[in-house]
Amino acid sequence: MVILLLSFLSLGGVYVYWNNSSPAKTCYSCHEIQHSYTSWSASAHRELHCISCHGTALSSGFHSLKEKSRMVMSHFLKNYPEDIRLNEQQVVTMTERCKTCHQQEYAQWLSSGHSLSYADVFLNEKQNSKEQLNEDCLRCHGMFYEGNIASLVEPVSVIGPWKLLSENHFVMPVIPCLSCHSNHIQGYPKISPEYNAPDKVFYNKPDPYSKIGIFNRQEKKFILVDYLPQPKIFAGKRQVNTSQDPVVRNCKQCHAPNVWHQSGSSDDRTPTGVHEGISCMACHEKHSNNSKRSCKSCHPAISNCGLDVTTMNTSYASPESKNNIHFVSCESCHADKFMN
Amino acid sequence: MKIARYNRRNFVKLSLTGMGSILLLPRCAQPQSKWRFFSDNEAKTIEAITEQIIPADEDAGAKEANVINFIDKQLVGYYKNHQEIYRKAVVGVNETSTIMFNKEFIQLTWEAQTSVLKTLESGEAPGDTWKIISSSGFFNLIRDHSMQGFYGSPRHGGNKNYVSYKMLNLDYPYYLGRNKYNLNT
Amino acid sequence: MANKHVNVVVIGAGAGGGIVAKELSVAGLSVILFERGKWQTFFDHDNDELISQRSFPLKCAYGPDNERYWRVVQSGIDSWRIAYPNEWPYGNNAACVGGGTLSYGAMAWRFMPEDFTLRSTYGHVEGSTIEDWPLTYEDLEPYYERAEYEIGVSGDEGSNVFGPPRKKPFPMPAFSLNKEGEILEKAALSLGYHPFPIPMLRNSVSYGGRPACIRMRTCVGFACPVNAKCGTQNTVLPIALKTGNCELRTESKVSEILLDDTGRARGIKYFDKNDKQQTQTSDIVVLCCSATETARLLLNSKSKLFPNGAGNSNGWVGHNLQDHTYCGAEGLFEDEVYDDVGPGACIAIKDFVHNNPGIIGGAMLANEFIRMPYLYANDRPPGAPSWGIEHKQFQKNYFKKNISVKGPVQEMPVFENMVEIDPKVKDYWGIPVLRVSGYRHENNFIAGRYVAEKAETWLKKAGAKVTWQTIPGQYAGASQHQAGTCRMGNDPKTSVTNRYGQLHEVDNIFVADGSLHVTNGGFNPALTIMALAYWVSDYINDQWKGSKFK
Repeated sequence: MVILLLSFLSLGGVYVYWNNSSPAKTCYSCHEIQHSYTSWSASAHRELHCISCHGTALSSGFHSLKEKSRMVMSHFLKNYPEDIRLNEQQVVTMTERCKTCHQQEYAQWLSSGHSLSYADVFLNEKQNSKEQLNEDCLRCHGMFYEGNIASLVEPVSVIGPWKLLSENHFVMPVIPCLSCHSNHIQGYPKISPEYNAPDKVFYNKPDPYSKIGIFNRQEKKFILVDYLPQPKIFAGKRQVNTSQDPVVRNCKQCHAPNVWHQSGSSDDRTPTGVHEGISCMACHEKHSNNSKRSCKSCHPAISNCGLDVTTMNTSYASPESKNNIHFVSCESCHADKFMN
Repeated sequence: MKIARYNRRNFVKLSLTGMGSILLLPRCAQPQSKWRFFSDNEAKTIEAITEQIIPADEDAGAKEANVINFIDKQLVGYYKNHQEIYRKAVVGVNETSTIMFNKEFIQLTWEAQTSVLKTLESGEAPGDTWKIISSSGFFNLIRDHSMQGFYGSPRHGGNKNYVSYKMLNLDYPYYLGRNKYNLNT
Repeated sequence: MANKHVNVVVIGAGAGGGIVAKELSVAGLSVILFERGKWQTFFDHDNDELISQRSFPLKCAYGPDNERYWRVVQSGIDSWRIAYPNEWPYGNNAACVGGGTLSYGAMAWRFMPEDFTLRSTYGHVEGSTIEDWPLTYEDLEPYYERAEYEIGVSGDEGSNVFGPPRKKPFPMPAFSLNKEGEILEKAALSLGYHPFPIPMLRNSVSYGGRPACIRMRTCVGFACPVNAKCGTQNTVLPIALKTGNCELRTESKVSEILLDDTGRARGIKYFDKNDKQQTQTSDIVVLCCSATETARLLLNSKSKLFPNGAGNSNGWVGHNLQDHTYCGAEGLFEDEVYDDVGPGACIAIKDFVHNNPGIIGGAMLANEFIRMPYLYANDRPPGAPSWGIEHKQFQKNYFKKNISVKGPVQEMPVFENMVEIDPKVKDYWGIPVLRVSGYRHENNFIAGRYVAEKAETWLKKAGAKVTWQTIPGQYAGASQHQAGTCRMGNDPKTSVTNRYGQLHEVDNIFVADGSLHVTNGGFNPALTIMALAYWVSDYINDQWKGSKFK
């Protein structure tokens, strides 16, 4: 009985020590995690302790304790895992932790189409009855899901009704923060205002190293925009002038054209017409994807019409308009002026 | 590996072992070689051979693509049965290079290395090791493994940052939209 | 607890087995479908080139694993060695639900009428057991149609004038040609050939409730991420399972057919998911394990009446092993011909399948599926360096500037080309393994060189600056087009089954896979295997109504 009490106290002591000392002394001591440690210490989150994002050994209750014990056993059995990765539940939990500091981005994301849940996506009757559920759906809408489509939704058929096989996934977001962001990539921390120490300055300069990327489901790796292919898009036989903004490469991975890379095909929205060559980010806000306020950044200063563009006959003004804002060109309304 | 259901006693034992083992950490923290199978020297030799097989020019070569990582990873995985031949071959390659040029393989010039490998390929390489295993057999093996490591999917350890796909102008990760019925519906 | 007796045991959930299971269960018979593999999808290995069914250096994606399966193959005169599934000489076909149809290239060819009457057309060939099929193209035509409509084929006759004649059009329109297909089409027309789109067991439009193909670059050897590739696992098998009469037992390895004293089958012995040996009794046994494994099962099923294997009193089981001697040509071009539009293979000509002057047989010629980087790294003209800076520069320069045209040359069946049971080696479960041996008939190469030259001419006309022919080696193979080991025939002395796939000697054992093929045509055999599966199923259903095989 005494032994139990003593071991409990020492365990508790070790636990407190572990979670409060610098990671250089604790987390870093396992060589398997050294790579993550090294990349973290050069990242924008280097001021944060590992546990602020990854939680402690007991954060997820018994489950995380089981997981940590498994790690220790693997280490001793020399059964080193090749890729140390978060499972999907941990990725989603991470999203909640991001919220504690990045409240504005979180709120914006929540208002966008990228915050849909598995239920929103996979139980959508209009979609499911038009095209049968398949593995490729998960490439964009479920990149972290650890299983095949048949283990997620039933039935895999165009005839419903459909139901999710896992209750957990009902409200889980399909595109969490880690789909585009990795905390361990190189970056600089932004120094936020410390109200107790007003001499600490608030820097708002753009971080030159802040990069996004995409989590590729097949390779199970986060790939920086630098390594994503620069899309080549065509309108018929003509190659479209696409923006060189690296962020566009990220968008294209999911908002992709058909195999002939035709603008406007499949999920593609590469602008042609008056907006050709403009980056997605020129109009769509980063996290909310909202584009309603963006016209003012260019119009009426850059406009050949001198008219209020927000009221012109485009899908911006009204969803019924035949002139999709991505592809509208002068000819769409003034075809007569272009006929020779 | 599967973890059996723990009863409470085992649980206490395990957590004690876990906590206690942390005290051994300082010694653990320094593993012997940074590779899974190769020693550091062996890895340098194999890396030099792979670089000869796929040299760098204006595009990355095998070294930059981390082909050595592919070979090392597979040797403790799918290619376990080739472990012995690789161990012996590294010795053999150095024997041959010593006989031919009086130096170890990694100390040779580029051209000298090429001629050592060509000799291996021919099957007539001098060296005691090649009396036990075939030099052309080994060369063909490492040639094929280098091609796999360089041109295969990065998930197996090689083709770092998709350098080979970039060289070939092949879009990867591929981006392909779904069968869209109609943009306006 | 013993397994409940059922009417039919079907072994192998592949191109043949899936169809037989469905036809019989829809007719009301109770069926158990045994499959040694499991349900697999694109999720398991997606587009990993190193683990696929086309190049498998690390392991076969959907095929048997190296840990429990191996065979014995020839390695010289009178010498043998062990071969594992991830080596070409093993002669692998996939082991999963759907079999090869999960990851095949899905070319959907009907054999020509002459392919069924090869001997009558060409006469006897020295050293070959060339023979007519006991059925004609006309007999099988309605079954080809059934397979095309039920599984799903897209195609168009285009400028093809060689037939074979068909009553109904293709269920789906043909795939559009990619860039290299258009280049080849123009060249073929100017040479006076008759090019047309390759018929494919793949959705060109939405069909069977499944989406149309998204034209990915990785197709043959890979499963489909959108399920547009039509196999038996996503068409007929779900129908079979829904009837309630069919049970699918995966990870179940059948080791032998149990024969009673009167020389009839009464069931099978198998190893279940947990490798425990079990027995399953049935009224009928249908073998659809692919030519090599069906023969193996028959040869391993011995009894007093059949000391050499079930139905093997005449010693023909396992012999006449055929696949295809792929010959053709490759060409390098000055401008890019690659446009990343899959599956790659899209255009074919049948001008050289038959009626080649002085040549027996021939092959259809078609462009190849897209070759991924590792596969292409081993594809060089003869004499080109296989490593070093030149090899790398070749890869960089020509990866998008090469076209390959190949054809599955019709093989002359040779009795000595065979699979037999190895006297010593056993697999993981203690079941004796196969020994594959034989040499291709000389005629295969005569016809092969002829079509290779035609392919080279075609490429040159298309603008290739450098061309070379490709002719394979001499060893007889199994691999994905394996056929012939339990041939059909009207004469019980020189065949294993009758014209309905029923063993001559055992009336309740049937075969419904490529083993039945007397000759294997100059085409990919999948659609023919499917048509024959319907043909055999119809006969079983007819006979069932009468005797119930008691």
